[in-house]
Amino acid sequence: MAQIEQSDKGGKKKGAQKKMSIHVDFTPMVDMNMLLITFFMLCTTMIKSQTLQITLPTNEKVEQSEKNKAKESEAITLIVDTDRDEQGNVKKDEEGRPKNVVYFYAGQPPIDENGHVINNTLERKEFLGDVKEGNRTVQRGIREILHNRNEKVLDKIAVLKEQWRKKEFSPNSDINDSIYQAKAKEIRNDSTLTRPVVIIKATPEASWESLIGALDEMQINQISRYQIDNINGVDSMLIFDYISKNGK
Amino acid sequence: MGKVKIKRKSTLIDMTAMSDVTVLLLTFFMLTSTFLQKEPVTVITPSSVSEIKVPTANVAQILVSPEGKVFLSIAGEADPTVADGAWASEPIRKEVLANAVSEYNRLHPNKKVSLTEKDVEVFSKIGTFGVPFQSLEKFLRMSQTEQDKFISDMNNPQAGIPIDDNQNLEKPNEFQIWMRAIYSSGNDNLQASMKKGEGIAVKAGKDTPYSIVHDVLDNLQTLKMNRFSLMTALKTEAD
Repeated sequence: MAQIEQSDKGGKKKGAQKKMSIHVDFTPMVDMNMLLITFFMLCTTMIKSQTLQITLPTNEKVEQSEKNKAKESEAITLIVDTDRDEQGNVKKDEEGRPKNVVYFYAGQPPIDENGHVINNTLERKEFLGDVKEGNRTVQRGIREILHNRNEKVLDKIAVLKEQWRKKEFSPNSDINDSIYQAKAKEIRNDSTLTRPVVIIKATPEASWESLIGALDEMQINQISRYQIDNINGVDSMLIFDYISKNGK
Repeated sequence: MGKVKIKRKSTLIDMTAMSDVTVLLLTFFMLTSTFLQKEPVTVITPSSVSEIKVPTANVAQILVSPEGKVFLSIAGEADPTVADGAWASEPIRKEVLANAVSEYNRLHPNKKVSLTEKDVEVFSKIGTFGVPFQSLEKFLRMSQTEQDKFISDMNNPQAGIPIDDNQNLEKPNEFQIWMRAIYSSGNDNLQASMKKGEGIAVKAGKDTPYSIVHDVLDNLQTLKMNRFSLMTALKTEAD
């Protein structure tokens, strides 16, 4: 391939040249190309990072009466934090990384008029995710709590997902996807179902990962109503009360 | 007589086919590659199940280091045919710089920053920047290696854009000046994507305490940029 045979069979011409073979050695070319490929392979980012889109409420002062108060039975407050000891110091594991924990309570914070904690209903969970047990998935940690609270929506979406998998909406997968998305959104926002309202708060010591984890749980559990709020004194008081009672 | 003739074979291997393959591979990598952004700090973003991709064009990325230093990078329109290339990264960065500096000078008449044309040119080539306005002149006159060292040094008090919990937009802090300058840079597509929330990406490390990121989120809220994206890595359901 790389050599060109110049044959002159006729030999009629006067100045007939000698048979010549031109051989081009491609090895250095290959070497150079390999180097360039290596360079590009090392320099590329194949995996693009993903984003999580959020909307924060405006900073403007809202009249107390105008505030959209969540129904007490539906509200659940998550407080993400790192594992701390009784003095409030962050505990770190062997790798020097803090452990993410999440506290939660339902409804109103358990305090009396004087601001004292009365039977602290705060509970503590971790971000654990799912495990497969046989052919059914078992939720653990905080996901279990949220899953149970949003069960009606999740059940409906599970049915919908099955239809989506079988491409029942449309044989065209793009149309199938968009119909599924629209229907799922309808279910998530269906006010006839009992859906939780989640208020996410984070202590200053909480890691960024744990806040993202909490937001992620909202997506996984198809919760449409959630908001990020600033932590207040009551919340920190509840946590310290919890730690002092349950601290090891 | 019975001499067996051993044919002499050439040991030359034809490399043409090999070269063809490598050139093809090379072309593939050249076309698909997006180079790793040079960033003053490397952060490992937390993972989430969200599958929305980060846009590569028309985005202002806010990088938050674990120490609380803030850096910005601006990417303009990738398509050069849009607005005749006037919305591409480099002209937009120049525009942002001009806006931000004039706003800063208006607010601080005693400590004016004056940049030469060459400084502006240098600025437009920088991917991720983050120095206080007062250090801008010094920073832009450094060599590239010195610049990298300057902003990568987390102990350097002059690295990172100063940020505080200012809520008074009459007297914006430096971060707010920059964000507003980016918003009103004249690139309509950038502005539109910032409004939608795709155009502002907050990137912070896994173990960064929330209080540090909260500062940035609070500032964005004050700026009425309530919608934005958080950079995450992809996590599979099984996790």
